[in-house]
Amino acid sequence: MELFANLAHGFAVAFSPINLLMCLIGALVGTLVGVLPGIGTIATVAMLLPITFGLPPVGALIMLAGIYYGAQYGGSTTSILVNIPGEATSVVTAIDGHQMARQGRAGPALAIAAIGSFFAGCVATILIAVLGAPLTKLALAFGPAEYFSLMVLGLIFAVVLAKGSVLKAIAMIVFGLLLSMVGSDIETGASRMAFNIPELADGLGFATVAMGVFGFAEIIRNLDAGAEMNRDLVQQKITGLMPTRKDLIDSAPAILRGTALGSILGILPGGGAVIASFAAYTLEKKLAKDPRRFGRGAIEGVAAPESANNAAAQTSFIPLLTLGIPPNAVMALMVGAMTIHGIVPGPQVMQKQPDLVWGMIASMWIGNLMLIIINLPLVGIWVRLLRVPYRLMFPSIVIFCAIGIYSVNNAPVDVILAGVFGLVGYWLIKHDFEPAPLLLGMVLGPLMEENLRRALLISRGDWSVFLTRPLSAVLLAIAAFLLVLTFLPMLRAKRDEVFTESEN
Amino acid sequence: MTSIRALTGACAAVLASLCGFVAPGEAQTYPTRSITMIVPFAAGGPTDVIARIVTSHMAQTLGQSIIIENVVGAGGTTATTRAARATNDGYTLITGHMGTHAASVPLYPKLAYHPEKDFEPIALLAGTPILILARKDFPPKDLKEFVAYVKANAEKVNAAHAGVGSVSHVSCELLHSILDVKPVGVPFNGTGPAMNALVAGQVDYMCDQIVNAVPQINAGTIKAYAIATPERNPSLANVPTTAEAGLPTFQAQAWNAMFAPKGTSPTILASLNAAAAKALDDETVKKRLLELGSVIPGPVERTPEALAALVKSEIAKWTPVLKPAS
Amino acid sequence: MADTMGHSATATRNTSVAIGFCLLAVAPQIFELIWSIGTIFGWGAGRGPLQVVAAHATALVAGAPAALLAAAGGDTKKASSDVLLALIYSYPLFAVAILTIFMTIRSAQDYVGGIVLMALALFALWASSDLQGMRGFSFGAGTAPRMFGGLLVALGAGIALTGLLADGPAMAHYSWRGPLFVMASIVFFALAIRPLGVVVSAFVSFLIAALGTHETRWVEAIIVGACLTLGCALLFPYVLGLPMPMFPRFLVQ
Repeated sequence: MELFANLAHGFAVAFSPINLLMCLIGALVGTLVGVLPGIGTIATVAMLLPITFGLPPVGALIMLAGIYYGAQYGGSTTSILVNIPGEATSVVTAIDGHQMARQGRAGPALAIAAIGSFFAGCVATILIAVLGAPLTKLALAFGPAEYFSLMVLGLIFAVVLAKGSVLKAIAMIVFGLLLSMVGSDIETGASRMAFNIPELADGLGFATVAMGVFGFAEIIRNLDAGAEMNRDLVQQKITGLMPTRKDLIDSAPAILRGTALGSILGILPGGGAVIASFAAYTLEKKLAKDPRRFGRGAIEGVAAPESANNAAAQTSFIPLLTLGIPPNAVMALMVGAMTIHGIVPGPQVMQKQPDLVWGMIASMWIGNLMLIIINLPLVGIWVRLLRVPYRLMFPSIVIFCAIGIYSVNNAPVDVILAGVFGLVGYWLIKHDFEPAPLLLGMVLGPLMEENLRRALLISRGDWSVFLTRPLSAVLLAIAAFLLVLTFLPMLRAKRDEVFTESEN
Repeated sequence: MTSIRALTGACAAVLASLCGFVAPGEAQTYPTRSITMIVPFAAGGPTDVIARIVTSHMAQTLGQSIIIENVVGAGGTTATTRAARATNDGYTLITGHMGTHAASVPLYPKLAYHPEKDFEPIALLAGTPILILARKDFPPKDLKEFVAYVKANAEKVNAAHAGVGSVSHVSCELLHSILDVKPVGVPFNGTGPAMNALVAGQVDYMCDQIVNAVPQINAGTIKAYAIATPERNPSLANVPTTAEAGLPTFQAQAWNAMFAPKGTSPTILASLNAAAAKALDDETVKKRLLELGSVIPGPVERTPEALAALVKSEIAKWTPVLKPAS
Repeated sequence: MADTMGHSATATRNTSVAIGFCLLAVAPQIFELIWSIGTIFGWGAGRGPLQVVAAHATALVAGAPAALLAAAGGDTKKASSDVLLALIYSYPLFAVAILTIFMTIRSAQDYVGGIVLMALALFALWASSDLQGMRGFSFGAGTAPRMFGGLLVALGAGIALTGLLADGPAMAHYSWRGPLFVMASIVFFALAIRPLGVVVSAFVSFLIAALGTHETRWVEAIIVGACLTLGCALLFPYVLGLPMPMFPRFLVQ
């Protein structure tokens, strides 16, 4: 009963006009930030921190939270339309989402992303309210050994999601891991492969590489001679805006599974949300009757990861609200916003600041409702954007990406690096390498290395910790199982290729 | 909100550009346009919060906006290098701290600037006391037992820190050099993950700034042995100082201070110092800083001369501690 | 692409691939040489072009074999970075280039792709060669980069091998116009954003990028570019509050 009283209190707080307005602004800015390539949530929340000075703390945090999960809605838009993932969590969405757009089904893809996100957001909000405190234990149960095993599992997901050669997918993951090594070493502070370039001292930014290998590379490829025909074809093919009955039936279970996976993995600090979206995609591909549809415009491939990343975005508030420990950079900024207002979050924040905590939880549900109301009509506008002639569209995307990358660190070198990765990405396309596993390797690489080293430091070099700690052992077992599942069909792979070839 | 911001922003920009044409003799009329304050750490961190609180008041005094630019990387040295190379016209300043303007000297042999030679000190803003923290079930009960335990079990204990060059790293290095032990240091990516590991009991102890620790200590999820300042802190009145608890040599504070590039005109420096001093005397600013557990410098400590002396003494203090580590 | 698939490998084609690999083998050296030309004009620090040529030439011709012999003789003297580059990166690629001449390439796409990945990995191995390795139970800074570097060399070789063993697509066609102008536009933006501000750099970059295709109609491009610039100038600094200069620095001051 206490829960209902708390929730009622939360809704009373969240429904005050000023907080509703803050929630709306957060949702709008979040959508905008998600849609604009390059501009990340971290940069935006950081930039908007000073204006929260003059606002009441609850309103300020409701707004910042809105930006965070709003960006998850918007992030899928560019992934689907122009194959540019704005956030690490929407990399997988680009795989099937953009294929759908090329088949003239951008509308259903965008709509299902919004619907999936909404459903996931609602479920995850309830989860925070009901199970927030017990779920905190999960965040604390994950030590370095468990994280390492989770990252290994994550990398196996990357192999599974590859649509072509497994060998090439593994090579791309390792390439991504290698790229993630650039920068300073966490334990010794030694500069690794940075060639004395100050901008590389902290490593290659995710946005820089993602904009390059996805965004710029896609543009360059579309400018190739002979590519015009394909583009015109896409523009003529645009069919319905909303998903059909069949689409909804196909994606309903995917949304459910994505939400469940995202809710659990989101609680884990660090790469939880990224792994959630990859895991959701992998799960769908493994469960599908015909896995070959994935990577060629399967709607489940959009619905599952988008539900997962939004669920994870919501549940990642759990460690912040119950422990007072920020699980990622955006949450750390929210802690900053709270401290500016004189609230230092800690384990007792729920008791001491009921207005703030329950108001925020209630506002998340309201925010998700607002977001779906904002986003569904926008689908029509986005799809219309695809009709803009490509000769005008591509310079605009170049400029948006360039400004976006520049704004992350105010570093011109980052823009040039993104350009270089654009050429790398173009080369990868020409040699039939997929960029998605590369990006996953890049995101998971540092987490994997750091946690491996932490685990070995704490165990004094005893590798058996990964097997003696039960959670870690379970994760590794799942990873091994998945690996076997992946390599068994490899024997048939040649035959499959022949089939796809003849279909074309 | 955003549209209001857009409007005021546009007005400010127009005004600023107009003023720029009208008033070329800047030394007398400084500042004539908005000032950029580089903060070498992520927004929302302790240094950033202090810089924002103080500069928002300074902007009122100076009559121009101060734009905070967070530039992260390499323990803050990337941003500090940029500030050192900025035009010394008083429109690019930096809020540095113990790490960027003292500990960096021994930590980074290839440092592209020198805190004393490349910067003009403006004012010390606030100090953040450092605590010795441990997981809640760590055997020692007080600092004396802690010292004995760590000395006896130096091979077994793990000290967490928030990355090489971070305040938690260098201050624990100081503690270890005083105790003459070399326990295993477990690096984390920032204070949040390190605190998470401490609360979860995966590591044994760490040294960290007061801001993040107070609520955890009050909730009993971790424990504090001592505070490394001469006096107790009002937000943690029952935590003894290191002197009281028997380790008087361990004194450390994460200080934050404002600097300008070398060669900035003395009149500009004077007006900035006056504005900073005025901000530190303001009741709201004071209250906010005290809520963070910060120590506000007195009238003598906030002069440029005192800051110059502080930087010198801090470099001397950290160099022997950190030299062997790197 | 399917029509060019399969047994198109001829002797001349192999030679050109081999020459390409030889160029790749000395690409870092050439890059440093181009970079070093800047020092003549006083841009950046580092060795001058003559020094670069001399250092790399001696490293490639004399230094590396000498170091190899010394290592064979049990002498563990530390080799210079140039010599290491020749040893770790250039020599293996030269070897690959020579082998290439005698191979029948059945899928150039895979073969070249695998070898270039291998080259990237070898370069990473060189770049991390000065980092510390394992110290007791604790990983050094260089352990993981070398581990993944080694793994990628093996994977690259594996992919190249599939290009020799199984039929597959030939090299895809590259065009130059798109990449050139898009890159030029990006580089111009990066160089111009600080001194010239958003307005000038966004507009000019737009037009440079528009050169990337022959479809561009200029009146239309200029109008759209201007509108886009205006939109960006309002959107980024004001609505999103990102700090970036608007106008050229010399106009504001």
